[in-house]
Amino acid sequence: MPQRADAAALSYRDCVSAKIKCLRYYRQQKKRVSRDRVSLLFMGDNDMISQLTSTERQYALVILVLMSLCGLVMAAGGRGDPLGVHGFVVLAFSVGLAFVLISGFYAPQPDPEQQTQYYDDPTKVGIALTMAWAVFGMFFGVWVASLLAWPDLTFDQAWSSFGRMRPVHTTGVIFGFGGNALIATSFHVLQRTSRARLSDQLSPWFVLFGFNLFCVLAVSGYFMGITQSKEYAEPEWYADIWLVIVWIVYFAIYLRTLARRKEPHIYVANWYYMAFILVVAVLHIVNNLAVPISFGSAKSYSLFSGVQDAMTQWWYGHNAVAFFLTAGFLGMMYYYLPKHAGRPIYSYRLSIISFWGITFFYMWAGSHHLHYTALPQWVQTLGMSFSAMLLVPSWASAGNALATLNGAWHKVRDDATLRFMMVAAVFYGIATFEGSFMAMRPVNALSHYTDWTVGHVHAGTLGWNSMIVFGAFYALVPWLWKRESMYSPKLVEVHFWLALAGAVVYVFAMWNSGIIQGLMWRTYTENGVLAYSFLDSVEAMHPYYIARAFGGLLFLTGTIICSYNIWMTVRAGKALATDNDAEGDIPVFARNAVQAGE
Amino acid sequence: MGIEHDTLVAISKSWGLFYLIALAIAATAYALWPSNAKRFEHAKNSILDDDDKPLK
Amino acid sequence: MREFFHRKLERKTISLVVAIVAVASIGGFVEIAPLFTIHKTVEEVPDMRTYTPLELAGRDIYIREGCYACHSQMIRTLRDEVERYGPYSLAVESKYDHPMLWGSKRTGPDLARLGDKYSDAWHVAHLINPRDVVPQSVMPKYGWLQRNELDFSKLGLNLAAQRSVGVPYTQEMIDNASKDAYGQATPDTDAASGVSERYGEATNVRVFDGDPARVTEMDALVAYLQILGRLTDAAYKQSASADAPTPVGE
Repeated sequence: MPQRADAAALSYRDCVSAKIKCLRYYRQQKKRVSRDRVSLLFMGDNDMISQLTSTERQYALVILVLMSLCGLVMAAGGRGDPLGVHGFVVLAFSVGLAFVLISGFYAPQPDPEQQTQYYDDPTKVGIALTMAWAVFGMFFGVWVASLLAWPDLTFDQAWSSFGRMRPVHTTGVIFGFGGNALIATSFHVLQRTSRARLSDQLSPWFVLFGFNLFCVLAVSGYFMGITQSKEYAEPEWYADIWLVIVWIVYFAIYLRTLARRKEPHIYVANWYYMAFILVVAVLHIVNNLAVPISFGSAKSYSLFSGVQDAMTQWWYGHNAVAFFLTAGFLGMMYYYLPKHAGRPIYSYRLSIISFWGITFFYMWAGSHHLHYTALPQWVQTLGMSFSAMLLVPSWASAGNALATLNGAWHKVRDDATLRFMMVAAVFYGIATFEGSFMAMRPVNALSHYTDWTVGHVHAGTLGWNSMIVFGAFYALVPWLWKRESMYSPKLVEVHFWLALAGAVVYVFAMWNSGIIQGLMWRTYTENGVLAYSFLDSVEAMHPYYIARAFGGLLFLTGTIICSYNIWMTVRAGKALATDNDAEGDIPVFARNAVQAGE
Repeated sequence: MGIEHDTLVAISKSWGLFYLIALAIAATAYALWPSNAKRFEHAKNSILDDDDKPLK
Repeated sequence: MREFFHRKLERKTISLVVAIVAVASIGGFVEIAPLFTIHKTVEEVPDMRTYTPLELAGRDIYIREGCYACHSQMIRTLRDEVERYGPYSLAVESKYDHPMLWGSKRTGPDLARLGDKYSDAWHVAHLINPRDVVPQSVMPKYGWLQRNELDFSKLGLNLAAQRSVGVPYTQEMIDNASKDAYGQATPDTDAASGVSERYGEATNVRVFDGDPARVTEMDALVAYLQILGRLTDAAYKQSASADAPTPVGE
């Protein structure tokens, strides 16, 4: 055998060290495969820590110690204020992570071989966190929806009143579920499309856990009544500052990994992810400018007031939809849809043109949230015009996705994963059309302040964002954990129909209630007086609020099934054939060496 | 304030439009530029490779 | 660093970054920048007053409980809204609102002109259990507001922060913030006299929550609700004058 001849040519010492190296690699591989099957997804998994170099482990410890100190300072400085409670949250979070880190601190150094592979551990943990937040956020969604049908479900607690739980739901699903999904998939897509490993192994963890700390601070704050009242930007000043730090590191990962890329052209999915990271940073910083009443207090007052604040808030609010819930998720779609369908994107050029269209147009459209208000009319008109123009790049993107599937409809029929992505594109098309329509002043006169808006948002979030995440995850999980398929394709099918039914029931209930509400508010009797009191409209909503809660419950059930399916795929899914036979994965020379050693 | 409100509004209303047109032309030109075609073709097909390892 | 930018691949990334920021930021700049220089956006009205410390505390409670999630404070220039809620909202009316609370959803009615519409007693009963006074209501109960004493010891900090973002509180107002908050809800004490001195004769000085012995969060919130739409008469004057823009009809 030629390998043998090569080995013979090596000196005795070289041979021994090569043997040891191979042996170690072989054992690690074997251990990793078996561990994956039985161990948790993350947390306390020494395997993941042993992938960090000792320098990275030391840096991680330093960061966690610094964070714990910050927590202590907050706890001490904010005594008697909710800020103090958050100090303890930060402390507990950092100390908890430090324990996990220390448990594997002296694990063996990683094999240098790992540099020849992609770094997917943060993505794996990110997927688990995404699903945890999805169940959490949607559970609270169903609860707040039920409160409007049965208001006494607060059980007389302050923390469970509608006003405090509503941001728990919105933050839980938008940032917890959506944000983690974006971070997890962006790391995966970035590496594959650049054909380069992430720039280092520490900063992805910093971004992932740092972002989740932000989410925990946000959500726990709402229960205690800490909020700025800025919609979709409720967290107070210290959490906002923390997010800026996390975001800068996130952006740096992108820049540094792209600098290592082996493909000269940057694949378009990364454009979308980058627009998401960059613009969200700008929006977040401007919208959250505020003056805290003291450094020992969670309370702050916005720098802007009245009409300027309204414009700033909706400039942020609308573009959070544009760059968080659209650009980032389009990035996801432009990778996982063609990849899973096994077909290139229908038109790469179109994806570029729509990218610039979306980046440009969205920024102008925020003022359509303020029609007929004290905002100057020319700003309203500008917002309305750009909202109409937005339909062009939006439908170009949705059409591009659907055209990619053209010719593979039999796959869509048979494969629920692909169907998730297809339905997501359809809902994206519907929701963007509806959005442009509702931005027209006369339509907005009816729809604004009603449940129609809520229905519209959920057509986008349930129909588009959630579906594309589920589709991407069902494709991604078997790849990442090297499984033949999902644990149960049948449950994927069940999830698909639950999600679709839930979204449709929800959206139809809100269309009905919103339009009825809007019409009742503006209906006059023959004598020229308003026909209905406000209370009449509240009463009329009751059946629709029940239907909406039911739709949400269906969707939540589907999400729980999805989590279970992912969990079981990781724990008990059938491994790919090559992995079953770990020996086939290492050089023949090494195999012989192992035998000789034993 | 150094800049008058009316000036700002005028800029917004006129140059904003020109900017929009220029940008649309630039984006379309870049996307349709013949010499870019090969690169785009490569990019759109390259993600379909099954090779799941970073390139050396 | 120079080398970093000079390498071709990096240059490409950087240009993409610059292009995204340039393209995206222009819209925000064009729309928002003029609003900060405009004088017409916010009308000049001499009688516009600031919130008293107690009202500000009430406003903070309104924010804390997330009332804005279901109630708007912005009456649009539409005929049915004006007839249902009162004169449409002017920009000036929220010029001291850091942040604004215009809201985006009416699960409950608009509150921009709620002040003086109902008695204090109605508000207290309604907040403790909305369904006692409005059987069809879906609003949560807010009983804890009546149970929690108001912490007004640090209100000076709140006023000082408000001043630093542009609300014209005087040093005297800031120094007396706690005392004024207490005084506004306890008309029989010495602390009460300073309130109308500093914030005007029209200020409501009374026991809002029906319990003169204690100053509660209920006092603060009701004081705030009773001032909504009452900080200036500008909207009423404008709707009475002939040259006001007519609300859009159906």
